[in-house]
Amino acid sequence: MAERMQICNLSEHNFEQCTKCSICTTVCPVAAVTTDYPGPKQAGPDGERYRLKDPAYFDKALKLCLNCKRCEVACPSGVHIADIIQHARMRATEGHRATLRDTMLANTDLLGTMANLVAPMANATLGLKPTKLLMDSVMAIDKHRTFPAYSRQKFTTWYKRHAAKQQDAFAHHVSYFHGCYVNYNFPKLGQDLVKLLNAVGYGVHLLDKEQCCGVALIANGLYKQAKRQARTNIDNIRTSVNRDQRVVLTTSSSCTFNMRDEYPSMLGIDNADVRDSISLATRFIYRLVDEEKIKLVFKQDYKRRLAYHTACHMQRMGWQLYSIELLRMIPGLDLVELEQNCCGISGTYGFKKENYERSQAIGSVLFKDIEKAGVEAVTTDCETCKWQIEMSTGLPVENPISVLADALDVEATRKANGI
Amino acid sequence: MRMDTVIIGGGLSGLACGISLAKRGKRVTIVASGQSTMLFNGGSMEMLGYVDGKAVENPLEAIASLPESHPYSKIGADRIASLAERVKLLFSDSGIDMTGSANANHWRITPMGIAKPAWLTLSDHLRIDDINRLPARRLALMCIRGYFDQPNAMLAQGLRDLGFEVEMIEFTTDDITALRRSPSEMRATSLAKRLVSNSALQRVADQFNSLASDADMVLMPSVFGQTDSSDFQMLQSMTNKPLRLVATLPPSVAGMRMMTQLRHYFKMLGGTYLTGDTAVSGTFDGDRLTSITTAKLSDMPLMADNFVLASGSFISRGLRADYERVYEPVLGVDIDADADREQWTRFGVLNAQSYFGYGVATDDQLRCLKQGKPIQNLRAIGSVLSGHDAVKMGDGTGVSLLTAIAAADHIRENK
Ligand SMILES: Cc1cc2nc3c(=O)[nH]c(=O)nc-3n(C[C@H](O)[C@H](O)[C@H](O)COP(=O)(O)OP(=O)(O)OC[C@H]3O[C@@H](n4cnc5c(N)ncnc54)[C@H](O)[C@@H]3O)c2cc1C
Ligand code: SF4
Ligand code: SF4
Repeated sequence: MAERMQICNLSEHNFEQCTKCSICTTVCPVAAVTTDYPGPKQAGPDGERYRLKDPAYFDKALKLCLNCKRCEVACPSGVHIADIIQHARMRATEGHRATLRDTMLANTDLLGTMANLVAPMANATLGLKPTKLLMDSVMAIDKHRTFPAYSRQKFTTWYKRHAAKQQDAFAHHVSYFHGCYVNYNFPKLGQDLVKLLNAVGYGVHLLDKEQCCGVALIANGLYKQAKRQARTNIDNIRTSVNRDQRVVLTTSSSCTFNMRDEYPSMLGIDNADVRDSISLATRFIYRLVDEEKIKLVFKQDYKRRLAYHTACHMQRMGWQLYSIELLRMIPGLDLVELEQNCCGISGTYGFKKENYERSQAIGSVLFKDIEKAGVEAVTTDCETCKWQIEMSTGLPVENPISVLADALDVEATRKANGI
Repeated sequence: MRMDTVIIGGGLSGLACGISLAKRGKRVTIVASGQSTMLFNGGSMEMLGYVDGKAVENPLEAIASLPESHPYSKIGADRIASLAERVKLLFSDSGIDMTGSANANHWRITPMGIAKPAWLTLSDHLRIDDINRLPARRLALMCIRGYFDQPNAMLAQGLRDLGFEVEMIEFTTDDITALRRSPSEMRATSLAKRLVSNSALQRVADQFNSLASDADMVLMPSVFGQTDSSDFQMLQSMTNKPLRLVATLPPSVAGMRMMTQLRHYFKMLGGTYLTGDTAVSGTFDGDRLTSITTAKLSDMPLMADNFVLASGSFISRGLRADYERVYEPVLGVDIDADADREQWTRFGVLNAQSYFGYGVATDDQLRCLKQGKPIQNLRAIGSVLSGHDAVKMGDGTGVSLLTAIAAADHIRENK
């Protein structure tokens, strides 16, 4: 009876576990740079007490929250502060129409498909000063932003032409959820993953169908569309896991976090049966090495000094360990682990004109750290961090998978794994 | 994944133990769910503040008379002096500037203006070595306009009771005023984030120099220096009077800074710190713990030769209680606690509460007991331990630091 009483008292998002200790307020990157935002404690559990009484207490400033989850990581009492905030936003914006700008930014795949068709033109046009100024004034997309360049050939096109046929020959198999960024902007990352996994005896396959994971749709309040796409993705992931017995790997920490954790908590999509089968590629590969199922052999003459940046959602998943430990296996790599600070972009947040300055102020701590580290490049598991850090520091940013693929001695690795 | 040692809990004790081991080249992983009670710390470490309600003058001497169940007695009263020296070294190696002595307590000042016995205090904080010889006569107590986490009137009264002449001076600067727009963010840690640039510090110093001309010493809430003490030093160089900080209500800037510095040093020594992850269970093989599992690395047990439980007391969830029992939630090790729930608490919040002394049962090598038998490679350190009362005895941080280093020694010797 006693135990059941305590279970009955558990509320959504551990809301009632808040002890009002204020620890969350010390880590919020937004509150650190602006007084317009009330901070996680006030926006989250404190404000929720009022909102439960009367929804009219909803504070518009809640849209400034980056959903970076740093407050949740710091909270000693396990309160899901950012979830409380996101749900409050969701309740308050239900039925509202998103602006054209937000819809456009959120639909990363639609924008990608259109741009790929006309890549050189799109890149040139999106990069032109008049276009940028027009976007700045009409669309409220900040003129300082450079849209990530679109690739001429989509990853899926490359895969079908150059990789698909070889994959069945391997002894083991995985599926790859490439996401919008790899498909439209940076196919090389997907190619690097195929190179790496093939070298250790794993065939890489695409899902029957995949759609944008929807992280940007959620952030921009397009919940209905996000739900539709989430259902499609989970259905196809289910097919891969159940029909083909293939786990699903990703190379983006945000897609991974979104599909594993935000689908159930934000969109109410039940993924419990396949959640454990969705994994970041670095985690999957680390585990194989750790269990001595595969071996990686690296180039003798490889020599680089890189800094690792822990993306916010990576920190929330607690998986930076896998990427860092994997990178540390490269003998010639001198890896600096940066202090865990937010880069300020948070997906599409930093693209919006009204957020630009705040976004850069948030990232400034990290950018200074990177400068101090004296490295030739930065490595991180998130593509939007990549844009932000490249724009703000001028240093190139690579995904750990690309770093590994670059350092790998393919022939020696194949031999070591008996291929 | 295999390590030499895995530590559950990344508070003061977990980090102190991790640093001691990593310094000797061991591969150490700390699993740390959330921030720790150091965010309530006012810039001092206490070895032993009170025995039977009376302030302790010489902690080393007083420790000899503690009951056998106290963690210090398990370490061995004779070893405390040398361990205490190593604690000082650990702080200076981490870049934390603390002073004090284990055989003569000094006084630290709480945010409420009460003097409490302390062992080590940050050099930039107000401390009193001898109540009869105050470090200054006239104090200018600088009160930040709109900042409510410092009960100024109580603090001033407390300081006057100690014999200081205190003038309360309200002040503000543009940087501080800007923060007032969001009253919920007007906290010590937010102020510390604003008061970093030389120009912001200069504006504060200008106020001090013009308003506090009559004082011998300027006293200011501890709202400087999130990551190191350079902001304070800059401010001191701009102020024409000696400057000291005094603890604020939590979250504490000094506590946050010390944690950042310790964590930084631990990582520099090659340690792995898993932020925001929680140990959820362990696998035993006879009288040994073979691995633990965490919430986020759910399918990869962390294996190690040795384990350390540094998960803190009830507030940190290192100890839990339901309607029937007090228990340790991760490994289910034995607890020293009254079985009868009626005995857990006493009437009156400020009275000594029995549950403050509850905690994990250990043998004389700090090894955890499970069903009465020691687990050979699992030690408990810090406030998860039974037999001490941080509130009534003023021994919390001391127990954390000294048991941490003692456990690191045991782990080394047992090889
Ligand atoms: C409100 C308050 C004020 C205090 N003020 C003072 C003071 O002014 N001076 C003084 O000397 N002492 C003070 N103390 C006591 C002092 O803070 C502690 O004795 C000391 O800092 C405890 O350190 P610790 O590492 O043992 O435990 P904690 O600081 O409690 O740290 C334990 C850590 O372990 C983590 N943890 C718990 N379970 C798990 C798990 N399953 N997996 C992973 N991590 C886990 C927790 O999140 C926490 O971060 C105070 C304590 C409290 C509660
Ligand atoms: S949400 Fe967590 S960190 Fe924030 S005040 Fe509540 S208990 Fe503290
Ligand atoms: S999710 Fe990030 S931005 Fe939002 S309240 Fe938490 S820490 Fe602040």
